[in-house]
Amino acid sequence: MEQLVQPIVNGLSLGSIMALSAVGLTLTYGILRLSNFAHGDLMTLAAYLTFLFNSLGLNIWLAMGLSTIVVIGFALVTDKFLWAPMRKQRTTPTTLIIISIGLALAIRNTVIMVWGASPQNYDLPVAETLNFAGVRVPFNSLLVMGMAIAAIGGLHYLLQNTKIGKAMRAVADDIDLARVTGIKVDRVILWTWVIAAGLTAVSGSMLGLIEKINPNMGWFLILPLFASVILGGIGNPYGAIVGAFVIGLAQEVGAGMRQILGDAYLTLLQNPVLAPIVKLMSPDYKIGIALLIMMLVLLFRPQGLFRGTM
Amino acid sequence: MLNYLFSFDPGILNYVAFLLTSMAIYGLMGLGLNLQWGFTGLINFGIAGFVAVGAYVTVILSLTQVPIVLAMLAGGFVAALFGLLMGFATLRLREDYLAIVTIGASELVRLIFNNEELYDGRPGSMGINGFPLPLESFRPTTFTRVGMVAIVTVIFGLALWKLWQWANRRLKSAAQKQKVAITAVAVLAGLLGLRAYVVTAISLSNFRANQAGNGLLFVALIVTAIAFWVVERLIRSPWGRVLKAIREDEEIAKALGKNVFAYKLQSLMIGGFLTGIGGALYAWQQSNVYPDNFRSNLTFNVWILMVLGGAGTNPGVLLGAVIFWVYTALTRDLNQILPLPTVQIDAFRMVFIGLLLIALMVWRPQGILGNRDELTLGK
Repeated sequence: MEQLVQPIVNGLSLGSIMALSAVGLTLTYGILRLSNFAHGDLMTLAAYLTFLFNSLGLNIWLAMGLSTIVVIGFALVTDKFLWAPMRKQRTTPTTLIIISIGLALAIRNTVIMVWGASPQNYDLPVAETLNFAGVRVPFNSLLVMGMAIAAIGGLHYLLQNTKIGKAMRAVADDIDLARVTGIKVDRVILWTWVIAAGLTAVSGSMLGLIEKINPNMGWFLILPLFASVILGGIGNPYGAIVGAFVIGLAQEVGAGMRQILGDAYLTLLQNPVLAPIVKLMSPDYKIGIALLIMMLVLLFRPQGLFRGTM
Repeated sequence: MLNYLFSFDPGILNYVAFLLTSMAIYGLMGLGLNLQWGFTGLINFGIAGFVAVGAYVTVILSLTQVPIVLAMLAGGFVAALFGLLMGFATLRLREDYLAIVTIGASELVRLIFNNEELYDGRPGSMGINGFPLPLESFRPTTFTRVGMVAIVTVIFGLALWKLWQWANRRLKSAAQKQKVAITAVAVLAGLLGLRAYVVTAISLSNFRANQAGNGLLFVALIVTAIAFWVVERLIRSPWGRVLKAIREDEEIAKALGKNVFAYKLQSLMIGGFLTGIGGALYAWQQSNVYPDNFRSNLTFNVWILMVLGGAGTNPGVLLGAVIFWVYTALTRDLNQILPLPTVQIDAFRMVFIGLLLIALMVWRPQGILGNRDELTLGK
């Protein structure tokens, strides 16, 4: 039993982190029409800034808050000097992708230049691990899930009940139509970046709570994040949350498959047809599971599970 | 720095020959990517994966007594199938899906090569070495050496002739002011080409001095020259014009009754084939394969040389490869100027490459040799 519950708990905590980041990605994807390959590296940047402020002696929560503010500032600056001029020229999406990959390279390697390539830890007291009938739940995982639920609740309120949230949904549906309706598109774009970068930064900092931080942490998440967004329908924040939990759970349960199946695993490994898929179910190939899901979605339901905006 | 250009010291000659081999190998990978992105508009961020597949298939087959040429072709072929697999799932859909899937798949390939025992029960992370290299036990007679020099003479001769044609064409349409600049650039490029030719000829006539290295130099120059000729022919064929039409406006190609999906798939596969062959040469050059040699930095190095030289032009890509390796050679001693560890120096160079990629895409998406009027890339 606990062989199954343990991966589910891990999957929920990974899913919570990915959910916040995937919401950020789906908002910039759906509203700004930007498939931002530097998105994962924003998470990395946030985690390292939290590490920096934390190592300067700041309390971890203050450090996370401050890092979030800096990352939002960074996102607004890149929008002002990079994305806004490109939008004005009506640059093709493919060009935007290549620019974003250049930005990703620059961010990731700046992090390596400043902090080096080896993994680091936040300066935290050793967190307790709670034990529920044999299932180990690190306290930080519970914390992460709680924070994710709070953030998602806030986002839901914002999108459904505030003027800016409704305007964001309108711009996501059709930017030109929104403009002629009198919606201040520039303000919507500003708020989109604030929310997207804010959630992404929190998610990156939270990832540092459950594992060591390293310069590639965000880059390696870019595929699972895009997979979540596409699974949930591009531009649909609720879909992205569901997608992130599906991918997070699939990755962790897949990684724990050897323990869950026990002897049956070895039997399946003998089957020449299933062997490659069974082999993929290992902690070494978490990204392979995300890739597999993404391929299946693209082949059978490319529009995603829920209604997207594009 | 200047001794790269003038010295005839054997050590320097060897290093210049190594640079020429690298230029040819990266040029070959660039030609593959250029067919995909430059001519068809497909975003492939998984070059490292294609290279890894080509390298590993070639190396493992040649270790099991398959003739080396067949092993190399098989490497290219499996890399093409790798492209087919990813293209089949994504190419009917939005253009960004290919980019996402190629990133993930190339990372997965690297992980598999790292974790599985691929050859002889050795753990993947320990890499594979001791595989056959092309021409390593070839003992050329005077006659065959003259033959080899004659072959490279033809290759360099054609390149210089093309340069001459280009300069003449540009001079005819240029304003008075530009003429001096064009002449200067052409003369400079011609002299560099001549130096490259002299170094190649000397290396090949002293074949025994560095058996494996000189053999690879010869093979890489021939393979890249053939690949260049083939892609030039391809893109000037009706097939190539359809690719360009797809790049410019997919809907028009569709309206003309072209099967856009099939064309894209073919472009991805042929490009993948070339990149896979590049992988075989890449493995031979290092004479070992480690999963770590196939990290995503390789992908972005090939991207930057293509965008810099000129996406959508094959000579541009080769020019990009030359510039990339000249830059690498010039910054090789950077750690003597900047007191930083190697990791940081590498990161510093990648930051520069990232920023250069942004700058090029914003201000000069056609690169050095591209034709902006033709290209919608970057509009």
